[in-house]
Amino acid sequence: MIKIELETGGSVWQVLTKPGDRVEAGDTLFILEVMKMEVPYEAPVAGEVAAVHIAEGDSVEEGQLAAEVSD
Amino acid sequence: MNWKKETDEIARRRELAHEQGGADAIAKHHSKGRLTIRERIEKLLDPGSFEEVGPSAGAANHDENGELISFDPANFVLGFGKVEGRRIIIGGEDFTMKGGSPSPSGLRKSVYAEELAVQYKLPLVRLHEGSGGSVGGTGGKSPSLPGPVNAPARFRSVAQAMATVPVATAALGAVAGLPAGRLVASHFSVMSKATAQILTAGPAVVARAMGEKKTKEELGGWKVHTKNGTVDNGAEDEAECLFEIRRFLSFMPDNIGQLAPVIGCDDPVERTDEALLDIVPRDRRRAFDMRRIIQSVFDQTSFFEMGAGYGRSQITGLARLNGQPVGVWANNCKFLAGSMTADGAHKARRFMELCETFSLPIISLVDEPGFMIGSQAEREATIRHGTSAVLTAAMTTVPWASVMIRRSFGVAQAAHYGPEGFVLAWPSAESGPLPVEGGVAIAFQREIAAAPDPEARRRELEEELAARQSPFPRAEALGVHDLIDPRQTRLELCRWVDRVQSLLPALLGPTRFTIRP
Repeated sequence: MIKIELETGGSVWQVLTKPGDRVEAGDTLFILEVMKMEVPYEAPVAGEVAAVHIAEGDSVEEGQLAAEVSD
Repeated sequence: MNWKKETDEIARRRELAHEQGGADAIAKHHSKGRLTIRERIEKLLDPGSFEEVGPSAGAANHDENGELISFDPANFVLGFGKVEGRRIIIGGEDFTMKGGSPSPSGLRKSVYAEELAVQYKLPLVRLHEGSGGSVGGTGGKSPSLPGPVNAPARFRSVAQAMATVPVATAALGAVAGLPAGRLVASHFSVMSKATAQILTAGPAVVARAMGEKKTKEELGGWKVHTKNGTVDNGAEDEAECLFEIRRFLSFMPDNIGQLAPVIGCDDPVERTDEALLDIVPRDRRRAFDMRRIIQSVFDQTSFFEMGAGYGRSQITGLARLNGQPVGVWANNCKFLAGSMTADGAHKARRFMELCETFSLPIISLVDEPGFMIGSQAEREATIRHGTSAVLTAAMTTVPWASVMIRRSFGVAQAAHYGPEGFVLAWPSAESGPLPVEGGVAIAFQREIAAAPDPEARRRELEEELAARQSPFPRAEALGVHDLIDPRQTRLELCRWVDRVQSLLPALLGPTRFTIRP
């Protein structure tokens, strides 16, 4: 199980995936807004999205567990 | 009559010295997942290359017949050794004896490490674990006299070593007091996440003086010190720390009088990468991964990042272009839009001083929106630290190549371009005194407020201004040396590295500043 933790705080702008989705490596899972920049987070490997812990509009923190992908 | 009695004792003392603090102390050390200093030295060096300095230093005890009963070696091990065939000076505290708190001979050897490095002009590696002076003094049979007032200033050799040879250090266990000071008096420092803490003083002293009850790990573990600039890197364990030191040394010359070693390279200079054509999104608000650009442009797998956990809007490290070691500096737009913060500026300044000291060309990949703004940035004195980085860049003498990847704004951008530097721009480059969004909001605020659809008028103005910031006019006016296809970046930089080879020999020798840790 691959845990996707946030590298910075910010707010969640778009969530583009949900548990059960099959993803390829490099697919954008969600996008944070940080300092007026849209920072995409991509699937590190191909697999299935096991969990999504954030929602659009959330204020998030560095280190927070955002999603999990099972490979 | 011969000298066999004495030579037998010499051999016996050597044996006893290798027992260090004794089998129990060593076993205890191992049980905590740590290696002894002799094991660490062996692990770092090429096999069989260690030539010890002062192996007989220590304190001996004899019985009433003059027979040797016991021998406590100096608790600092020092010597010459080789890393990838290149000779270095290596030393470190022996934690199995007095917790590394120096015995009189231990102290003498530890101070000698820097002097040897400066005398022989060889890279210096120190592997630290131990505390500094103890209240009980250095011990020994008689109370030690204080050193003479006319002895050379103790830390002068530490500074001289940094000004003369590459110094690389590792924290492999708890490092407190004087060893912690020497740990950070280095060009590259790494701590073992599994086993190391760095402390000005340990929990007992802190509890007594401050009433604060924290463990060693809470006070000085990697979560604290890889994020604040104390050490450059955190490696998973001891073995990885030693590996990182070997990697760092591979980019360095032996001393400031030599050029960094150029190695053979089988990564073709003409290698292009299609991914560079769209890695910078056309949507100006969308971030991208600058490290992917670094991995693509420089010799494959050559990038060695330093300080990743600190000043994260800036990326600094070492890499190679066609085998030539270079310094690499880039912005990370995923962190605070790549904006230069006080700690990012500090990291960049140390990076530039490292390259200047060892005559390494600097390559800067620019995506700088300007100094960080807002109340936290003001509290951190961003403009003071940032300007320090800008002026440091202006005073460097090494060759610079800057590639405008995306943004280049404000006073902060000036730090990313060295004097007489080579400047390339990607089509995605935007530059000016202020990013478009901020500029429009201020300069046109009345016009926008008065418009029938303020939001639409603002967007129109932003697009007009953004168009004026296209790189083409700059290239036409020779404001940059060239506007390039991103896929050609590696080739362009490799050609540049070849052209600046002739400039490097004149840079050898002392810098005009003494490096500040």
